[in-house]
Amino acid sequence: MTYQSPIALRLLVPLLCLALLPLIASAHVGHMDMADEPALGASAAFDANGRLWLATVRDGHVVVQHSGDLGKTFSDPVQVNPVAETIYASGENRPKVATGPAGQIDVQWTEQPTPGWTGTIRFARSTDGGRHFSAPITVNHDPAKVTRGFDSLAIAGNGDVVVAWIDGRDAARAKSAGKPYAGFAFYYTWSTDGGKTFAPERKLMDHSCECCRTALARQPDGKVAAFFRGVYEGNIRDHAFAVLHTDGQANHPERATFSNWRVAACPDQGPGLAIGARGVRHAVWFEASHGPAIWYGQLDPGHAPRHALKLGGAGASHADVAVAGKTVWVAWNQVNANGYSLMLRVSHDGGAHFGEARTIASSKVAVGSPQLLERADAAYVAWNTSDGFRLIAIKER
Amino acid sequence: MRRLLTILLLAVAATAFAGASAIEPLGPGDVAALLKPPARGERIIMLWSLDCVYCEPNMQALAKFQRTHPRQIELVTVATDSIAQRTRIATRLEAAGMQGYPARAYAELSPARINFLIDPNWGGELPRTIVIRADGSRTAISGELTDKQLAQITP
Repeated sequence: MTYQSPIALRLLVPLLCLALLPLIASAHVGHMDMADEPALGASAAFDANGRLWLATVRDGHVVVQHSGDLGKTFSDPVQVNPVAETIYASGENRPKVATGPAGQIDVQWTEQPTPGWTGTIRFARSTDGGRHFSAPITVNHDPAKVTRGFDSLAIAGNGDVVVAWIDGRDAARAKSAGKPYAGFAFYYTWSTDGGKTFAPERKLMDHSCECCRTALARQPDGKVAAFFRGVYEGNIRDHAFAVLHTDGQANHPERATFSNWRVAACPDQGPGLAIGARGVRHAVWFEASHGPAIWYGQLDPGHAPRHALKLGGAGASHADVAVAGKTVWVAWNQVNANGYSLMLRVSHDGGAHFGEARTIASSKVAVGSPQLLERADAAYVAWNTSDGFRLIAIKER
Repeated sequence: MRRLLTILLLAVAATAFAGASAIEPLGPGDVAALLKPPARGERIIMLWSLDCVYCEPNMQALAKFQRTHPRQIELVTVATDSIAQRTRIATRLEAAGMQGYPARAYAELSPARINFLIDPNWGGELPRTIVIRADGSRTAISGELTDKQLAQITP
């Protein structure tokens, strides 16, 4: 061991370098991937003062900007996570931003901690008007390197932060035991101390869909409710609704759509939810039991939705919904060979009837999912495109 | 020793770079050529994405199927993720043992437009298997293929 031939030594170093080359190369290219792609995953929210907050992902950092002039100009971006992470921001993945009653700005995202289907739910808060963010914390207590993602974020009426996501731990456990397990599972947790700590996560339901965004909305009683795609007996990809209890009460997820679309596939299109002041649950969702279709309906868990209305078929995708008083807005992307149209329908009678679909914006380049936002009873659509972020005001009609 | 070193160098360089560079972009203008009926037999286009948990088993089943009909079936994988993610796409294809098959990835950041051009009556769910035959006929199936469905697309 004390003697090594000069030739062996001379070879050892280059050989070691060569052995490491693929790692270095892939890490570098991997980073370039992130840097090259101005991922379209973005979220926006208004605060109590009518300022718009925008979260996007750049070079492994969630960045937050605000606008006091309805998206015409934005503040300089502030990095939320000081250390770069691999962040999910394409498809239906996107960083989340929510504003709270005390002026706080909450940001959440899914990190890919290791290559493959792994995810960690991350959270940070600003209490100084978005100038600085707390050190990011990991929300999920389970340390297993399993799939987690399609996280959602909502602020309960009492100010608690409620976080939900799709989690692969039960599927992984079943697989290693050689047992079948359909889909993944829906987990959630909450923070009562302003996002400093989160309660150990609770499983709401086994057998959620694996690859669709989840939706949360606040009820009139202040509790947060969830609407998400499940996997029902025979690979049926219908949706479930549940109130997410944070006080120890038992949860009762119930099937809330009944399209009976059977497929062993990733729909890659999750639903949207908005709950009116009288508790009506306005929802939008996608299914393809008879060709692709996006729907509006009012959820009646355990039964088929009321006032179901097909919003679009071929080329229609990624709908969102908002409600204020008797006004209900639904927006979605409509694609054709030439590009994208942002479509809108409005109801003035609480969702019983809707006006004709109309185009409120269009894009020749790639677009993300539209997000409906409200500000002083007026509605806007946040639309991220390859040409930049757009805030589109909805003119009354 | 020197020869061994050269071989090692080449092997390492090949594994590091070959996979990622072999993936060709698929832009809106390339769709017509992709969908053009083959001169003989059938072309199977296997659409998949990084998020899709059903896709690798489906492409592996199709690869096995292709090997039983090597002269009649041309198999192409198309990732609906942006080509900007080519490294991740290549890594996954390699892990699935798909290096031997032509691979494409969408040249746009969101998939809906190219999805629509490939098949307007498809909502983007994955995997999506499209079979295009020399006579111009087509079959498109969403979801992981069953043995019965595989039998139906036998050339």
